[in-house]
Amino acid sequence: MAKSQSKKKIKIDMSIFDGIYQKNPVFTSGLVIAPAVAAAITVKNAVALIFAFSLISFFAVIISSFVPRDIVYAVRIILYTFIAALVYVPVALFTKYVFPSEFSALGIFIPLLVVNSFITSKTELRFFRKTKKDMLVDVIMHILGFDLSVLIFSFLREIFCFGALGDRILGIPVTFPILALPFGGFIFLGLLSALFRKIQLIVRRNN
Amino acid sequence: MDVIAQIITASFTAMFIENILFARALGSSTALIAVKNKQQFVGFSISITYICVFASFISYFIDKAFIKSEYSYLFMPVAYVLAVAVIYIITLVLLWKFLNRIFLAVKKYVHLSTFNCAVLGALFLNSRHSDTLFGYIGFGLGTGIGFIIASYFLSIVYDRLFSEDVPESFRGYPLILIYIGILSMAFYGFLGHQLAL
Repeated sequence: MAKSQSKKKIKIDMSIFDGIYQKNPVFTSGLVIAPAVAAAITVKNAVALIFAFSLISFFAVIISSFVPRDIVYAVRIILYTFIAALVYVPVALFTKYVFPSEFSALGIFIPLLVVNSFITSKTELRFFRKTKKDMLVDVIMHILGFDLSVLIFSFLREIFCFGALGDRILGIPVTFPILALPFGGFIFLGLLSALFRKIQLIVRRNN
Repeated sequence: MDVIAQIITASFTAMFIENILFARALGSSTALIAVKNKQQFVGFSISITYICVFASFISYFIDKAFIKSEYSYLFMPVAYVLAVAVIYIITLVLLWKFLNRIFLAVKKYVHLSTFNCAVLGALFLNSRHSDTLFGYIGFGLGTGIGFIIASYFLSIVYDRLFSEDVPESFRGYPLILIYIGILSMAFYGFLGHQLAL
């Protein structure tokens, strides 16, 4: 009895990390693909993207959680998106101030974050079905999941694409410039997702 | 005749040169949801095309009024979201009143086909590519059709990408991304692009 309770406890504890590992939004669930594929070409761009994404998603989801549940579902979705568009205003000003050149380079991908799947679908399907405290942890974990995966993706992409990391040339003999294009991004993300799945399978088998 | 030419040119630009999925990677998550079953795919396709066309119509007036402002980049998402929301509400009310059967069929996913990167991306791209009202409408139409073309290519092999014959680590999502990447590369070549030698 005690053993099964302790097993259950461990399972519950692990589910906290769903957003990072089991249901990673970039490598596993495909919730937020577009900005990663088209905009996270260099680490600098990725950091600016992560900065804007984290702030918009976190504040939009938290503020949206106060929207009364008795409002019709169709209208609630509009309100969530509208809240995200309002949160975008200070976030865009802040991002432009901190990362001026990256903000321009990211173009339409920053404003498009107001309709990311965390806000338009995960709110109702996952986040708002939990208690406020659990929701907060889950949202942070999902955002961290996005942040970490985009950081890893852009880090490897920049190395393989340009043979450099920022201003530092790494002297790699063969580079793949096509990785800078969306199709290169799709294929590279697909390969990394397969690698991530392989790691998950190995971990599952060992456990 | 000039109007038709404007619509066709803008549509073809949106369908092939600026294909929302293959050239811009926008709406990838939406396409993954849309192709899960055939009925849903048809509903998504019609809905996205419809919303893109009417939202493009409204966005023309929004752009004319605000795009020259120094701070337009801050308020355009709010304006576009409102434009899409107006069409969304009017459509839902009309469906509920007059076509209740369709309303019941689409209400589970209609919000996903309305508030997504493909629709909002079409409005942002429209402000860069089009200049006339018919150009805007044509671009919106082309974006919707472009999304249908891309999703159709995905839907015809969707089941095979989950086949038991595929190694487990590639099965499903990773292979879908690689497949979209290969199709996107084919589109890139089809448009006459060449890689530097």
